[in-house]
Amino acid sequence: MAEAAIHRRITPPGFGEQVADALLSGRGIWPAVPAIVVLTVVAVIPFAILLSLGFSDFEISRGAIVSQTFSLAHLTNALTDPLYWITFQRSMNLALSTTALCLLLGYPVAYLFLTGGRWTKRLILVLTIAPLLTSGIVRTYAWLVILGGRGVLNSALLQTGLIDQALRIMNTHWAVLIGMVQIHLPVMILPLIAVMSRHDSRLVEASENLGASRIGTLRTVILPLSVPGIGTGSALVFTLTYTTFVVPQILGGGNYLNAATMIYEQVVFSLEWSKGSVSSLILMVTCLIVLVAIALLTNHFTKWTKGHDA
Amino acid sequence: MMQGPAGPSNTVETTAPVLGIGAVGKRFGATRVLQNFTLEVAEGEIVTLLGPSGCGKTTLLRCVAGFWEPNGGTIEIDGQDIVDVPVNRRPVGVVFQSYALFPHLTVARNVGYALRMRNRPRAEVAQRVASVLETVSLTGFENRYPSQLSGGQQQRVAIARVLVMEPRVLLLDEPFNALDAKLRGAMQVELRQLIKRLGLTSIFVTHDQEEALTMSDRIAVMSGGKIEQVASPDEIFDRPATAYVADFIGVSNFWETQAETGHVRLPDGQTVMTDLTGGVKVMTRPHNLRLGPPEAGPWKGTVSFHRNVGPLIEYHVEASDGNVIRVSAMRQERDRPVKDRSQVSLSVIDPASCSVYPG
Repeated sequence: MAEAAIHRRITPPGFGEQVADALLSGRGIWPAVPAIVVLTVVAVIPFAILLSLGFSDFEISRGAIVSQTFSLAHLTNALTDPLYWITFQRSMNLALSTTALCLLLGYPVAYLFLTGGRWTKRLILVLTIAPLLTSGIVRTYAWLVILGGRGVLNSALLQTGLIDQALRIMNTHWAVLIGMVQIHLPVMILPLIAVMSRHDSRLVEASENLGASRIGTLRTVILPLSVPGIGTGSALVFTLTYTTFVVPQILGGGNYLNAATMIYEQVVFSLEWSKGSVSSLILMVTCLIVLVAIALLTNHFTKWTKGHDA
Repeated sequence: MMQGPAGPSNTVETTAPVLGIGAVGKRFGATRVLQNFTLEVAEGEIVTLLGPSGCGKTTLLRCVAGFWEPNGGTIEIDGQDIVDVPVNRRPVGVVFQSYALFPHLTVARNVGYALRMRNRPRAEVAQRVASVLETVSLTGFENRYPSQLSGGQQQRVAIARVLVMEPRVLLLDEPFNALDAKLRGAMQVELRQLIKRLGLTSIFVTHDQEEALTMSDRIAVMSGGKIEQVASPDEIFDRPATAYVADFIGVSNFWETQAETGHVRLPDGQTVMTDLTGGVKVMTRPHNLRLGPPEAGPWKGTVSFHRNVGPLIEYHVEASDGNVIRVSAMRQERDRPVKDRSQVSLSVIDPASCSVYPG
């Protein structure tokens, strides 16, 4: 009796339920509020402080800033210093060539995943994800063992007589590039696979049935449909490699200066926070410019996904 | 290409088949999906492969298209074995179940795809695309993307995309599955008329008997990788060769009995001629049965259910021997249907229309 009465009565939701409803309804920004709070405290505020240091002259006394005046001097110094131009250019070159190489090496793997049988697919997934289970630092040190003067690669080449003097790979641009490509390859392959396996496999059959060769199908069907994956993978690999610090530090042997290692030295060793701040800003802005370019290109090649409402 | 007479259907019987499938087999591991499958399709003929899922009909279609390689047997087009010809060189067009339209290409580029892959000059592509789009009444939709089209329009694009390459054989893999019931009926008629007008030799795969009866010149009813019967829709419906075919197509009433020498006695006392002896199964369609007043004959029963299906009334009659017999009668407005739980007698209208199968 009592239970039946409860079900019949219309009761307004309590305050707790209203809050939960608001959070879970997916409307507005409510579900993201916890993350926004955390990010504001640990990322936005520190970054704002850092930026303010880059655009001011300040005086520190007993660990606290005592006076601060606005100044563009640090920025103009940085932009007129050839060292900055060389360093950022090197970072940009490294990141762009790593992204291009990852795409070149990763795309065939994703294609194999698309066309391969069940076991090929599984093998590719395992081999792609397995490296991600170990730390990037460990993998970078592994390259030391392989590429070093008396490393695996040189020993093998010397023993087979292909070379008669050990190659100097470690502590060069090439060592950094090889390490970067290997470490970031899975980040390129996974979005490619995700996007490519979203499409009906009958599209490939239809293309062949209509007279396209394998290469024709790749060019006219598989490639255009995988553009979103190429965009996502490239954006991820570029961002990671442009701002990376560990690989150039270890495989470059300390004398390979890229943007991230330069900022590290400015902030940690020479305690020039204003320089570090300005460098970080340049790094962020140039990174955003490339990301926007990638997004615009991706959009240009996926116009067909728009206008589903017509 | 064959140099035979240009396809008027009255010469079908005398010309060589366009598509000849000979003793084709296909296994997946230990499972035999197709066994010794043989079928010939004449110029301009639409043959339907009809059967439940898993009967091998789609497997055969994929072997003809070249997506799968058969384990033995021959597939000939105009007398030439194409088993070793790669997919993209076969003169075969496939309309896929889900259409498989290229989502990133406009209607015009989807339709022109086959011509561009054959490196035809741009002007020729444009002209042929326009003419094929006109054939399927899609003029004006050139610049739409597939996602901007209705299901019926998408199907027309899928057909146009195949027609443009003028295939020798057209393969249709359950092309109506994605359409709602009403549109499906209209598209069936339209597609059959179009294929017949163009004189395309076609194989049509479906599990829907109504679709098969509408679309086909001949129907091949399949079961377990083999053909049970190949015949015209009328013959399949009126003279099913096996009990399986009778059961699969249309509504059928079966009863088991013993054959006497040269004939079988029906429950209402009439007889059907047969060569079979011993236990047999007799089958007849609901429209070959008639209800009468209970005293009119020896075969009595009780109406357990009736319903109005448009022009017909369908009765379920529980016969005194325990069988549930289905009877249909033309519905006349002035008549009142026989009420449920009425006592009735059953009789066969034409004993010659009954089929007798080994029991």
